[in-house]
Amino acid sequence: MKSVESLNGQDLRGMMATATSWLEKSAANIDALNVFPVPDGDTGTNMLLTMRSSVEEAYRAPDSSAAAVSQAIAKGALMGARGNSGVILSQIWSGLAQGLKGKESFTAVDLTEALQQAATAAYKGIGNPVEGTILTVIKDAATAAQGQMENGRGSLISVMEIVADAASESVANTPKLLPILRESGVVDAGGQGLYTILEGALHHLRGEAEQIQFRKPQMITSNLPQSTRVPQMTAVEEVPYGYCTEFMLKGEKFTTDEIRAKLKKKGQSLIVVGDATTARIHIHTIDPGNIIRYATSLGTIHQVSVRNMDEQYQDFLEMQKERAPAVDIATVAVVAGEGLTDVFTSLGVAAIVPGGQTMNPSTKEILQAVKSVASEKIFILPNNKNVILTAQQIQSLTDKRIEVVLTETIPQGIAALLAFGYEADFETNAQLMGEAKSRVRTIEITHATRSARIASLNIKKNQVIGLLDGELLMAGNEPLHVLNKMLAELNLKSMEIITIYYGADTSADEAEWVSAGIREQHPRLQIEVVRGDQPHSNYIVSIEA
Amino acid sequence: MTVKIITDSTSDITNEITPELGITVVPLTVIFGHETFLDRVTITTDEFYHRLIYGAVWPTTTQPTPKAFADVYDNLATETEEILVITLSAKLSGTYQSAVSAKSLATKPCRVEVIDAQKVAMGLGLIVISAAKAAQNGATLDELVTLVQGAITRSHLIAYFDTLKYLAKGGRIGKAQGMLGSLLSIKPILTVKDGEVHPLTRVRSLSAGMDYIYNFVASFPQIESVAVEHTTIGDEANKLVECLSSLCPKENIYQSPVSPVIGTHSGPGALAITVLEAEKT
Repeated sequence: MKSVESLNGQDLRGMMATATSWLEKSAANIDALNVFPVPDGDTGTNMLLTMRSSVEEAYRAPDSSAAAVSQAIAKGALMGARGNSGVILSQIWSGLAQGLKGKESFTAVDLTEALQQAATAAYKGIGNPVEGTILTVIKDAATAAQGQMENGRGSLISVMEIVADAASESVANTPKLLPILRESGVVDAGGQGLYTILEGALHHLRGEAEQIQFRKPQMITSNLPQSTRVPQMTAVEEVPYGYCTEFMLKGEKFTTDEIRAKLKKKGQSLIVVGDATTARIHIHTIDPGNIIRYATSLGTIHQVSVRNMDEQYQDFLEMQKERAPAVDIATVAVVAGEGLTDVFTSLGVAAIVPGGQTMNPSTKEILQAVKSVASEKIFILPNNKNVILTAQQIQSLTDKRIEVVLTETIPQGIAALLAFGYEADFETNAQLMGEAKSRVRTIEITHATRSARIASLNIKKNQVIGLLDGELLMAGNEPLHVLNKMLAELNLKSMEIITIYYGADTSADEAEWVSAGIREQHPRLQIEVVRGDQPHSNYIVSIEA
Repeated sequence: MTVKIITDSTSDITNEITPELGITVVPLTVIFGHETFLDRVTITTDEFYHRLIYGAVWPTTTQPTPKAFADVYDNLATETEEILVITLSAKLSGTYQSAVSAKSLATKPCRVEVIDAQKVAMGLGLIVISAAKAAQNGATLDELVTLVQGAITRSHLIAYFDTLKYLAKGGRIGKAQGMLGSLLSIKPILTVKDGEVHPLTRVRSLSAGMDYIYNFVASFPQIESVAVEHTTIGDEANKLVECLSSLCPKENIYQSPVSPVIGTHSGPGALAITVLEAEKT
C-alpha cells in the first residue's frame, strides 16, 4: 500500500473489490438473518449482487480519479441494485460520490465528509426511514468518523477503523431499536452487510487482502436476550405479503419525488432513487401490474423483477429451521412484576403468565400460555404455593406433555429454570429442575395485611414480616433488620450467592443500602441486587450455593 | 517407520510432553491490533491472559496458512512416509481447510491424512495423545485413522465460562446464543458437539460449576484419561484435579492452561474438562 495520506480512484476500486469478496464469504449467513421488512432471506445475496455491479462499473470509469471511480461505483450500484438493502446501498454510494465530486484523490477529511453525505443520501431515498436498520448503521459510522476527525487523530486507516468499529457496535445495537429483530433474536441483516463491506474496505487499506483469503467475516451477535412474545399477542394479524416488485425506469423529464408521491400508497417498503433519466424503483405491492402500467407511461422499464413474497417467505422459513434453536421443550412461568418478568424472559422462558401471591392466574390463562408456545413438551413453573394446583389442571386440558415443577417461590423458579439441561430429555429435566429448586432458600420481606397472632409471634397490621421458604418466621419494624435476623438463622457457610429482588414499592437506593448492610455482615458472599417490581414484597431474597 | 502426528496449537498439549510423544504442533495466530503472535510460541499463556485482561486491544485469531502446514509436511517427509494431521473443528476454524490445502503445496512425497476432530482444546488434545501413543507402538496410518475416528466419539469436552462476552465477540457462540443477555449473573456450561458450541446448562457460581463438572466426569463408567484446563484460575483447576483423582488415577489426568487462541474466545475465569472414555471391549 502506498501513501495512506490520500487515496485515488484506483485505491477506491481496490477497497470495493476487497469489500465485495469479503461480503461474499458471509452472504449466506446474512441471508439467514433477514426478517425486516419482510422475511424473505436474501439480503446478503442482494447486497453482494449490488456490490458486484458496482465493482464492474468501477473498472469502466473514464479515469482513475476518485471522483470518476466513485461516480462509476454509484452508477453500477444503481443499475444493479436488488432488494431494499441493495437500493439503500446504491444511495450510500451515490452520497459518497457526491462527497468526492471533483476530487482527484481524497484524504481522511474528505472521506469523513463523504460518509456524512452517504448517510444523508441513504435516508433521503426512503419514504419511511426505520431506525435499527442499515440506515442507522451508516449514520452511526459517519458520526463516529466525524468524532475521530474532531479529536484530531485522523489518518485514513484510523478513520476506517473507527468507522468499522462503530458500524459493528451499531449492528449489535439494532435489536434495541427494532423490536422485530429482538423477537427473532437476530441483528439487522442489511446493517450486518454494510458492516462487512466497511470492514472489507479496511482490510484492503491495511494491505490485508491476501491474508483475509483464509478468514471469514464475523457475524455480529446482539447481547440482548430474545424477547418473549406475550401470550395475548399470539393472534398475529396475517399480512398478505404480495409481490416484491423491482425495476429500472429510463425516460425523460420525470422526478423521483413525483414517482415517490404517486406510488406511496400503492404498497410498502417503497424506494425510489435516481435522477431525471434513470430511476430504480422497489416496492412491495399486492398489484404489481398497476405499478408497471404507471411506470411504462413515464418511460421504458428494464431489469423487471416481480417475485411472490409468500414463496420467498416459505423459503426463508426453511432456512430459519437450520439456525433456530431446538424448541422441543419450553417453559411457561407464572410471574408478577415487570422486573421479574424480564429476568425470567432473559433466562429463556417461552411465555409468562402474569400472577402470583394475591392474583392467582386462572387455569384458562395458564392454558392459553401453554397453547401459545410452539413446543409440545412444556414445563410450568407456578412459583407460588397457591398456583400449583391450578397449574396441575392443565395436563387434562391439552394434548401437550406437561410437567409442573413444584416451585413455591420465585427463587425456586429461577433455580429450576437455570438447571435446565439443554441436551437432556424431558424426564431428566423434570428431575434436574425439581432437584434444583430444593437447593435454594427463599426469604421474603413483606408487610402484614392485618394484625395476627401466629405461633409465638404477635404481629401488628403493616408491620414488616419475614418468611423463610413460605413460612412466617419473624416480625419487626425495619426491612433490613428483619432480613439480617433471618439470614442469621441460616447456615450461610456453604452458601455463595445472595440475590435481592426489590419490589415495586421499594427504591433502588434502599435496596442498595440493604445489600451494603448484608455485605458488611457477610463479606465472603456475592451479592446481586436486581429490580423485581413485584407487588407487596419489599424484598424477595434468594440464597444459594 | 513411525507415522508422524501433527496437530494445531488449540489442542493444548503442553510443550513438555509433545517431544516425547513425537507430536508436531502447528500454531494458530493471535492478533492484538498490529501485533501478531504465534500461539504458545511467541506468546506465553501468562503473557496472553495478562494482555487479555488488562490490555486495551481486543485480540482476534487466525488459522495457520496452508504454507505453514506444507513446510511441516516437507520437514517430516525426511523422516517418514506417512503423516496424520488432526485439527480442531472445521466449523470453528479454517485450520482443517489449511491442512488439507497444504497437501497440494507440499513438495516431498509423503502420504498425508487430515482429520477434523470436531473438537477443541483437550477435547482434541486427548485424541491426539491417544493417536501419538498408538503411532509409537507401531500402528499404521490406516489403523490410526480408524482409532482417531473412534476416539472422536469417545472424547467429551465441557467448559465452564465466567462470561459469554468473549465467545460472542469472537463469533463462535453457536447454539449457546440463547444464553446471552441474562439479567442475572450466570455462568454457562457449554460443550462442543458436532464441531459446534452447544449449551449444556447454567449455574450461578464457580463452586456450583465445579460440582456439575465432577458429576459429569463421574457419569462415565470407564475412563481412559481426563484433562483439566483453565484460563486464569489455576488454583481451582488444581482443586478439581484433587477431587477427580477419586474417579481417575492422577497419572491419567492431564493438566494444562488453555492456549491463547482458545482463550481469546473463552475469556478469563474458564475451566474446561475433557473425558476420554475407555474403548468398549
